[in-house]
Amino acid sequence: MTALVAQHLRKTYRRRGRPPVVALDDVSVSVAPGEVVGLLGRNGAGKSTTVQLLAGARAPDSGRVRVLGLDPRADRRRVRGVLGVQLQGATLHGALTVRELVRLYRSFYRRGLDPDRLVERVGLGEARDTRFEQLSGGQQQRVSVALALVGEPRAVVLDELTSGLDPEARRSMWALVEDLRADGVTVLLVSHHMEEVERLCDRVTILDAGRVVATGTVPGLVERAGLRPTVTLRTDDPAAAGVLARLPVVGQVDARGPRLVVTGSAGPAGTGPDELLREVGSALARVGVVATETHLRRPGLDDAFLALTGSSSTLEAP
Amino acid sequence: MTTDRTTRDPRAGDLHPGLPSAAPRPGAAAWLALTVAEAKMVARDTAGLVVPLGMPVLILVMNGLAPGLDQVIPGTGGRTALDVYVIPLTLTLVVAMVGVVNMPSFLAYYRRSGILSRLGVTPASPALVLGAQALVGVAQILLGIALALGVASVWLGASAPARLGAAVGVLALTIAAMYAVGLLVAAVAPTPGSAVAIGLTAFFAQGALGGMFGPRQNLPDALETLGGRLPFGAAVDGLSAAWAGGAVPGQSLVALGACTVVAGAAAGAWFRWE
Repeated sequence: MTALVAQHLRKTYRRRGRPPVVALDDVSVSVAPGEVVGLLGRNGAGKSTTVQLLAGARAPDSGRVRVLGLDPRADRRRVRGVLGVQLQGATLHGALTVRELVRLYRSFYRRGLDPDRLVERVGLGEARDTRFEQLSGGQQQRVSVALALVGEPRAVVLDELTSGLDPEARRSMWALVEDLRADGVTVLLVSHHMEEVERLCDRVTILDAGRVVATGTVPGLVERAGLRPTVTLRTDDPAAAGVLARLPVVGQVDARGPRLVVTGSAGPAGTGPDELLREVGSALARVGVVATETHLRRPGLDDAFLALTGSSSTLEAP
Repeated sequence: MTTDRTTRDPRAGDLHPGLPSAAPRPGAAAWLALTVAEAKMVARDTAGLVVPLGMPVLILVMNGLAPGLDQVIPGTGGRTALDVYVIPLTLTLVVAMVGVVNMPSFLAYYRRSGILSRLGVTPASPALVLGAQALVGVAQILLGIALALGVASVWLGASAPARLGAAVGVLALTIAAMYAVGLLVAAVAPTPGSAVAIGLTAFFAQGALGGMFGPRQNLPDALETLGGRLPFGAAVDGLSAAWAGGAVPGQSLVALGACTVVAGAAAGAWFRWE
């Protein structure tokens, strides 16, 4: 059973006098109950459109959306009662204070969290009597997170959870997501912050130009992108490169002056980063080569993202 | 990829256990909270209070200073032209201005700024938001009218309507009709600017045909008839009759009632969150 499902979504925006823009083209995303899934993509990749379709704020041209088994368009009120949504850049009643806003939104739900405690939990205890329009961008962001959670939802969609937050506030939001996971809440985390996704998400779906380019765990995506770990080291011994190139775990050795870049071998078995480092170290020790400045680089989600989406395309679509 | 937890999925059509069996509708508490929130928004925005509170007094005083208004109209229990013509016109003008122009532009701003789309993903329904807006707007109108009538009776010697109950009834129906038109404007206007434009057009069109710029009798017959069946003219006729002590024309009541039902239903059907 899946908590959030989007299947084969297609959405085209038509405006008079302009060519139609295909925002989503056959996009499928799913989140199992209690799972935290990241939706990763550049600006204009279709992340926010996917969120709007999941929340039922817009209807897809074709495809199917289910939230805890319900159609968010046909069964609007039931879905709204169990799905918390944080919308990117949503404005709120500006003249109301933090506490008034959280209480207002609490009144929409049959059950939910204590507003005052929630305000404390998102770090706005001292700003609780400040009007929304007088808050900083980061504080407004935290209010919108609080409003997404105040109805004690079974599933949450968080769109750009930590954009505009300082590192400390970001970490406290990450802790909040960990709490949600511990409570068994299903989370779809929309982000372009790699560290955030890598740290919080069980799985990741990568969108690029309205299409899903990959879905999987972070190690799975790194593997699919064909990324291999590298060890760089410095040595004056001319024999070192030849010794390393003959190791089965090594795919390639590039010499850049006194610096060697050793890349792990490819193939389905692949070479793990720790294995590569160990094998390189012991091979050099066996032949008595002295190496300094040894550095292991593990490919991460950011490398996989760039490899899977093509690094050149940085155009921002509307 | 072997850890992909959705591999045990595919029965996505099943409902999850523990979902509420019925769709709970946000109740009176939610409506009250939203109304209080709207009231605070208005009260904390002092500039927004000028039109509903200041304008009625201004219009009444300006019109009330014209010569000849102290002339007693026969058969009205001593009521003057001010009571029978100027006050009904002023009250209708205020309700139409706030209901058809002010309120929709406020709602359109809400939509543009994302407030409505945010509310749209909560269990709050469009009716809840529109109802709270309408109630706060009506409170402003009533406050404005009370202030205007108070000034008129103290300084201009205005009298109470001959049939108070009828006047209150027609005023209530007028508010309902104008608000329904205003909600329809808010529902169909794509931008805040167009909400003001559409609202002003609706306001001036029915105002011109309803006697805002001079007696309706001066209009060609067809337009005069049409004007009396639009909410503005119908409201002026109804209030004028109530002040003079005559029977409120059934045609006015039907026009106002029909306008409320038709425009209100259309607004509810076409309302968009963004």
